[in-house]
Amino acid sequence: MAASSATSTAVYVYGVVRADELRAVAAEGVAGTAVELLEHDGLAAVVSKLPAREFRVKRRDLQRHLQVLEEAFAEATIVPCPFGTVVLSEEDLERVLLAERRDELLAALERLEGEVQLNVKAVYDEEELLRELVQLDPELERLRIATKRLGDAGYYEQIRLGELIAAAVSQRRETDASRLLGQLADSTDDAVVEAGGAYVAFKASFLVSRKKLKTFDKALERIAEAEQPVMRIEVIGPVPPTAFATPAAGG
Amino acid sequence: MAIATRGTASNYLQRAPSPSGLADVLDVILDKGLVIDAYVRVSVIGIEVLTIDARIVVASVDTYLRFAEAVNRLDLAQTETAGIEELREGGSAAKRKTEGAVEGAKEKIPGLKSDKEHSR
Repeated sequence: MAASSATSTAVYVYGVVRADELRAVAAEGVAGTAVELLEHDGLAAVVSKLPAREFRVKRRDLQRHLQVLEEAFAEATIVPCPFGTVVLSEEDLERVLLAERRDELLAALERLEGEVQLNVKAVYDEEELLRELVQLDPELERLRIATKRLGDAGYYEQIRLGELIAAAVSQRRETDASRLLGQLADSTDDAVVEAGGAYVAFKASFLVSRKKLKTFDKALERIAEAEQPVMRIEVIGPVPPTAFATPAAGG
Repeated sequence: MAIATRGTASNYLQRAPSPSGLADVLDVILDKGLVIDAYVRVSVIGIEVLTIDARIVVASVDTYLRFAEAVNRLDLAQTETAGIEELREGGSAAKRKTEGAVEGAKEKIPGLKSDKEHSR
């Protein structure tokens, strides 16, 4: 548990930058603390000291963490840490992160230089998608009519129908995802694909060079235009490259 | 309830410069980034619950029944013609709905609920 966090030495970590790229962060840190830079040999960890009392996550802290990252990212290349990264002391942080992982951090900073992250979600319109699937498959249409007629009595038919729909949706999702991710590959340097909901064709974070932002946006626009009204594209960013902090995650 | 967000010239591509809803913020900062070795880390109360909450994916009878219901709701004979204004609002309304659901779930977490100043 967090018994040991109830000391004044605990340090909350937002990320790491090159020391000469960032002077200060004005945004308020988690738990309302001031954000500081802990320097070590040309690298600086963006941190804030946690209050002596026990630190409990509050919704507002999520926003604070993000704002600190965003402010630092506006000035510098940053290797972000996940929300909730707290170490026991400044000494630990300096040793375990800034000193021992110096090479890894420098490599990551180099890899992320001039890059931004965009989070893209392709979402199906439930009605449009289902209508299309049902119209393409006579068996689905047959079951649809049967279950509608049977009502509650058609429990097993409903499950069967749902099962077939689930399979059809998942197949459609696979085809769409690989096709669309392929269309975005040219304008991106890296991608991390995540599981989305039932009606999410794909959900991915892309690492994009600032120079290619326009090209990327154009590609999204083309996709959105071609896939509507069955699909809608949502893009968030540029955000700090949280999904690409480690090469393992970025591939 | 039923929000039909049809792709139209106005909303087929939604751009947001920064994540605003809770789900989108979690998407960016939770479990993503450089992980510091566990032996100097301190666990933070509430994170584990957040993590579990953020991953909601299932394949079950319930899912099947929901799919079946959704298909049964389709009115295949009719092509709806919604007004442009309604369509424009569709996107953000759907988003609000999602956020509401996620935030609703979060209310059950004691550690998060105490943040009175920020809860709506």
